[in-house]
Amino acid sequence: MRVIIRGARLLDPNQALDCVADVLVRNGVIEIIGNLTDTPFDGHVDTQVNAKGMILSPSFVDLNTCLRDLNQIQKGTIASETLAAASAGFTHLCPSPDTQPCSDSGSVISLIKSKAEAAGFCDLLPVAALTKDLKGAALSNMESLSRAGCIGFSNAGFDISDNNVLLRCYEYAATFGLKVLVQAQDEKLGSGHMHAGPTATRMGLDGIPIIAETLSISRHLQLMQHTGVEGHFNQLTSAQGVALIRQAKAQGIKVTADVGIAHLCFTDSAIKGYRSQYHVQPPLREELDREALVAGIKDGTIDAICSAHQPHESAAKCAPFAATESGMAVYDMLVPLIQTLVDAGELTWMHAIVALSSNSASIAKNEITGLTVGKRANLTLIDPNHSWTLDEASQLSHGTNQALANQTLKARVKLTLKQGQISYAL
Amino acid sequence: MSDSSNLQLTEHGELRHFLTPEGLDRLMLERILDTADSFVVVGNQEIKKVPLLRGRTVVNLFFENSTRTRSTFELAAKRLSADVLTLDIKTSATSKGESLLDTLQNLRAMHSDMFVVRHSDSGAAHFIAEQVTPNVAIINAGDGRHAHPTQAMLDMLTIRRHKGRFEPLSVAIVGDISHSRVARDQIHALKTLGCKDIRLVGPNTLMPQGIENMGVTTHSNMDSGISGADVIIMLRLQTERMASAFLPSAGEYFRLYGLTTARLSQAKPDAIVMHPGPINRGIEIESAVADGPQSMILNQVGYGIALRMAVMSMAMSGQMQQRQSQASQSSSLIGEKKI
Repeated sequence: MRVIIRGARLLDPNQALDCVADVLVRNGVIEIIGNLTDTPFDGHVDTQVNAKGMILSPSFVDLNTCLRDLNQIQKGTIASETLAAASAGFTHLCPSPDTQPCSDSGSVISLIKSKAEAAGFCDLLPVAALTKDLKGAALSNMESLSRAGCIGFSNAGFDISDNNVLLRCYEYAATFGLKVLVQAQDEKLGSGHMHAGPTATRMGLDGIPIIAETLSISRHLQLMQHTGVEGHFNQLTSAQGVALIRQAKAQGIKVTADVGIAHLCFTDSAIKGYRSQYHVQPPLREELDREALVAGIKDGTIDAICSAHQPHESAAKCAPFAATESGMAVYDMLVPLIQTLVDAGELTWMHAIVALSSNSASIAKNEITGLTVGKRANLTLIDPNHSWTLDEASQLSHGTNQALANQTLKARVKLTLKQGQISYAL
Repeated sequence: MSDSSNLQLTEHGELRHFLTPEGLDRLMLERILDTADSFVVVGNQEIKKVPLLRGRTVVNLFFENSTRTRSTFELAAKRLSADVLTLDIKTSATSKGESLLDTLQNLRAMHSDMFVVRHSDSGAAHFIAEQVTPNVAIINAGDGRHAHPTQAMLDMLTIRRHKGRFEPLSVAIVGDISHSRVARDQIHALKTLGCKDIRLVGPNTLMPQGIENMGVTTHSNMDSGISGADVIIMLRLQTERMASAFLPSAGEYFRLYGLTTARLSQAKPDAIVMHPGPINRGIEIESAVADGPQSMILNQVGYGIALRMAVMSMAMSGQMQQRQSQASQSSSLIGEKKI
């Protein structure tokens, strides 16, 4: 199969590449980068895109997502959500272990991987449960799960309150050089429904204070330092949290971090009027926090942007706020949200691609080959000027919890190539 | 919340739901108080009924226990000549697993005109107004720790009848601010009605984060908090606050924040003392103060019926206007089609 992408702006952080060129992909491999009008090639072309004004980058890797299969197919299936992910430019996804049943056994891991393989839109690099059934009491079979293809271990949104168990988790992971991923939020302090601040106070909703995050980050950082485990924090939310990671990196602790796209773009004030589409965990915080998260991406304190995609059926969001389920379906609006940050002058596309592609790939220990001649083509082509409406007809995720439903958005993925094959085309 | 205020008003700016005083303007709050004033008289008449809600069906939906609020709403609806149905939802449908939305849709199918709703979730009345109507008026009788607008407005009525204008008043609200839906609405209403000096008094564990943003001052010392106040509103302290580590003991709380005769002397000599009830004697208030000459606690109960009659009649009239306006719009549309 041959694909030609003509005249796109090529952005590849790994090579500090930022230029306009044509790209020819043949039989899954990048064959030519350059000027194709000058460089003759023979034979038939299957797909040709005039990509003037578009951005071509290495494809995206998602460090945190929920695909809902196996037992929550009313919310989404691996087939539906991996297609939605491909439409957001992702080729590789790290699903969170809070699947039902939980990702704490080789059989669950191989089942979800085979379902994704059958669908063909994205490859899975699963994160397995750190403790059995995510209960925070007994260790999972980490070494075996690692052999089954899991890239790291996490207890998802379930805090491990027993320090004895948590220390053993880190010690065992250290034995085999395994990565621990953390969603940092103290269980008891995190029992509220939104950020503790003036908005929660006005609305009478139970708040989650920032200290719920920072106490947990500090605790895990000490364990990472003590055991030498390579750690990663999923979904930072606060300015103070970013500061702790910055400090830890300066001290030489082996730690990386990501932020959910929603936390980069929205604040708790979006919840005014009890808008349950903005009910997410960990919670959206205030504007100062959002600005600190953006600054963290720019200065490299925060390595990656994840989707934290969590599709829901409509009933999950149709109740008084506290009774609704947390989570936002993100894939359909991810690229437009990045574009709003770019348009606001807060980030550049290069910042975003570092965070969505090269850094996240390296954290997931996955070789995304980038824009290099002779390598397998894992590519994302984005039209930053494409104007469209997110509605039932255009959305691909099964999740009805689309925060920007029926709004006109700017920017859209035109083409995604996974291992040289077209996994999504607009 | 701006969304609430739009939701509460008809396209002509009339009240159609009453969810919170937040977002309603001073004119509207004063109209509510003026209307309530006129109903205070009805309560003193030999025949206490007026026919404003005759032929209308009011359903009291109490998802949470209540004696006082529920009975005053029932009495208010009856004095307005409505047909009243009171449902103890807590022990019926929802406990069988039916969702709130399904329960309400069933009730709407019975062609009710007004729901009076109490629910333990903040935003529940807002959710119901958004999802279930078009044509049912929703009166919030307390949602979680968000709002209890009729209680706050009856407190405003009490203050206005006994103290007059709000501008020069210093009002102290004392106690468990954090868990109080009444305090939040009192703050909104007092601010809107022109009160400049609103003080919240209590320990840090009972003071919610960022409350100062609502334009109030916070005080952890009771004596300085009530010093020179014209109005002292004591909040009820739930005994479970001790078990959940907000406070060490009722005894220490009373010593630090209980309103005693000696403490009351720090306020203005003609200060009034209010409490939404039911009171805990010897925990937040001394009996001598609760039963003393400055206490308005029983007056508040009486005004509560008048205030609820006012809000119910205004919201029903707003709904009627909305229905008529919708009906005339649809008939003119039909007319256009015929042409």
